[in-house]
Amino acid sequence: MRVTGRFTTMEKGFGLVQALAEAERCLLCHDAPCSKGCPAETDPATFIRKLRLRNVKGAIRTIKTNNSLGGACGVLCPTARLCEKQCSATGIVRPIAIGKIQRFLVEHAWQIGFEPLSRGPARTEKIAVVGSGPAGLSCAAELAKDGFAVSVFEERSEPGGVIRWGVPAYRFDKAFLSNELATIEKLGVTFVCNTRIDGAAGAKRLLADGFSAVFLGPGLWAAERLPGAEKVKGVRTSVEFLAALRGKGIGALAKELDGKTVAVIGGGSVAMDCVESALKLGAKDAYLVYRRSFAQMPAEEDERLAALRLGVHFLVLNQPVKYLADGKGKLKGLRLVRTRLGKPDASGRRKPGPVKGSEWVLDCTAAIEAIGNTADAADWSALVKMDEDGLVVANGKTRKTSARAVRSPAQGRVFAGGDIVRGPALVVEAVQDGKLAARAIRAALEGEVTA
Amino acid sequence: MSAKVDLSVTMCGVRFANPFLLSSSPVSNSAEMVEQAYEHGWAGVCTKTLNSGSIPIIHPSPRMAGYDYEAKREVGLQNVEQISDRPLKDNLADFRYLKKKYPDRPIIASIMGFSNDEWAFLAKAAADNGADMLELNFSCPHMTVEGSGHKVGQAFALCERFTETVKKSVRIPVLAKMTPNITDMTEPAIFSKKGGADGISAVNTFRGISSIGLDDLVPLPNVFGVGAMSGYSGSAIKPIALHFIAEMAQCPELGLPLSAMGGIETWVDALEYLLVGATTVQATTGVIKYGYRIVEDMIEGLTDFCEAKGIRRAADLVGKALPNLKTTDHFDLARQGIARYDLDQCVGCGQCYIVCRDAGGQALEWEAKRRRPKLVEEKCLSCMICSFICPVPSLISFREMPKDFRRKPTRVMDEGMIGSVKLPPGGAT
Repeated sequence: MRVTGRFTTMEKGFGLVQALAEAERCLLCHDAPCSKGCPAETDPATFIRKLRLRNVKGAIRTIKTNNSLGGACGVLCPTARLCEKQCSATGIVRPIAIGKIQRFLVEHAWQIGFEPLSRGPARTEKIAVVGSGPAGLSCAAELAKDGFAVSVFEERSEPGGVIRWGVPAYRFDKAFLSNELATIEKLGVTFVCNTRIDGAAGAKRLLADGFSAVFLGPGLWAAERLPGAEKVKGVRTSVEFLAALRGKGIGALAKELDGKTVAVIGGGSVAMDCVESALKLGAKDAYLVYRRSFAQMPAEEDERLAALRLGVHFLVLNQPVKYLADGKGKLKGLRLVRTRLGKPDASGRRKPGPVKGSEWVLDCTAAIEAIGNTADAADWSALVKMDEDGLVVANGKTRKTSARAVRSPAQGRVFAGGDIVRGPALVVEAVQDGKLAARAIRAALEGEVTA
Repeated sequence: MSAKVDLSVTMCGVRFANPFLLSSSPVSNSAEMVEQAYEHGWAGVCTKTLNSGSIPIIHPSPRMAGYDYEAKREVGLQNVEQISDRPLKDNLADFRYLKKKYPDRPIIASIMGFSNDEWAFLAKAAADNGADMLELNFSCPHMTVEGSGHKVGQAFALCERFTETVKKSVRIPVLAKMTPNITDMTEPAIFSKKGGADGISAVNTFRGISSIGLDDLVPLPNVFGVGAMSGYSGSAIKPIALHFIAEMAQCPELGLPLSAMGGIETWVDALEYLLVGATTVQATTGVIKYGYRIVEDMIEGLTDFCEAKGIRRAADLVGKALPNLKTTDHFDLARQGIARYDLDQCVGCGQCYIVCRDAGGQALEWEAKRRRPKLVEEKCLSCMICSFICPVPSLISFREMPKDFRRKPTRVMDEGMIGSVKLPPGGAT
């Protein structure tokens, strides 16, 4: 199958007329629940009111000022469980499509060439941001607005982190990301790509090189594996698969999957992205293998339903047992066992257990494991405290780490946010981490007492 | 629909199968159009104002602009349309065609002259070619020639003179069409009556400026860089037009049948005009918005209303609300009430709280956790703003309070300052 524009570009969003019609349904709440529901304090109640009252630029200003990745959040946020969850208009007909209005306003700004953000009066301090994902971008943008000289270090060839390399283009395309990045670059942020900051030593070097503070936002780029997965050709991690989709390897991938049967293991949003992508790339059958029930899947409901509608086969209550390979070590099937839900586990969800004698084999030539991301090999523990899951520990209000000023005061200014602190989290949460850290960095450098 | 309800009305001796007519405008420009309208059920037509050919008629281009409210398109319409630009003979031939094919659908010919002679000529021409009635256009809002259009309607003596001229020329009934661009419509109506008018039609469009282009600062419609004050119509003008009709209906000195128009789109709009004294109603902007088909819903809706109310003839509705329409000094101020909240229906938006705080009596408290308003009864002004801001129409209603109900006076910020208030000697008398 040819890789078409439908795979590499997003569907069009709202236009002005649709956005206004949607804003007209807004009940303009007092003490609006939508605004309270946004983890990044984007304040939808205010930008929708502004749009409604024909203050379109003001609406854009509100979004951009509060959330430097307002476009990405408008597209990618699971709004149904954030801003739209408590929307009062639900009691009338349905919630306001807040994410879509937000996306419209951000795209409208690009269309009319309106840029409300500007660089603050230049300051002498340099700040280093490790990782150019949502957390790093948000932190960098906030600091640049304050006039700091910000350098963002990115291991890969292009910035964006998970919104560049970890999500299919039909959900968030390159053109959209480029526009978001352009805004941040215009604020004076420098991107240093193809540059890995490898753990504590790398971060310390940055501090020694004169950076007054470091923000760690490297994300989680390693994947949990099932036993024996590495030895079988045709089994990939979601990280590898999604990154390949967004790079030069997409053609080869499409060729490999064309007409074949693909099994995707996992029940989260990433699993949905993988299984949909496999089908859209030309797989004859794409199975989603999940050991719990449909209702227990961590993926958002709309994502699950979209995958169903697309034709994904959901194999719920099925647990992988073993990959089966042919003589050349190539995947030829996946042995599964049916499960049954038992008593609730620590997470409060009923725990699946194997049904004896129910093993069966799903014939497939490709498998994608989407069962969780973990920190990669970079070790930050010589600088900052880490927890047993390999995540960096940071203060809830300031995102400050435990790093102490041993050699220089700067060493005391190490902050962290995004997935490396939270574990797999939302873009909008990473944005907030970046904001909070930027605020704390500024306060620290201005000599204020911080937590 | 029931055959038991008779929607027909008779105005100035002319019978209409129902009260719904097309008004004189682009929607009644030609027989080809009117024929379509008849097929949908319109009972008659007031044709686009005839032009005798004495001055060339060229419509400005573009000739209309819509007025939007939020995302709602065209709640009002601005137009700089002129009277008919068709040759008189074409229009009159169309009269003949319509009368031949639809003999029971009355034609009201709208005419406008620039001199006594021209009024007489057009009146006779229309009557001689099948018009059942005439409507004298004293009200076109964008005429600039003195003694024409709304300039006639504003110079009351001319209303009388031109009506008299027309009445001397023809035997068919004559309606004088009023401009709303005056203070008291009963005055020109009475002058027209003195000239012999058999009925009054009203209102023509309001002079307005509905919007201005923000790039070029030209009011719309933008006729190649020029805007003009011109006719504004549509549902936005209905309340004002309705009051003009009621005022004329209540004027004993006038006492003429009324044909009403102004923002009529639904049977409810039409019914309200009947209730304040109109015998027939006319529509244009509603048709521009939705097409001729709207009359089907007017017929069906009015029939069902009559049936539900046990009214057998729509004609019986005429003026039925007038006994309840009085001047404000008739209010019984001893009876007072407050708002009543049915919070089971509440969706928790809190707009009531905002409006009561910013525009009412600060009578609501906000329970943040539950997201519900709490009414402090003795502070409620019964302005009822909350009830129509509320997105749930039936949540907030009005209820009368017992005789001993006393409202709390509006708070004085610093009562200590009352003692130092200075008043001019003597007080108000």
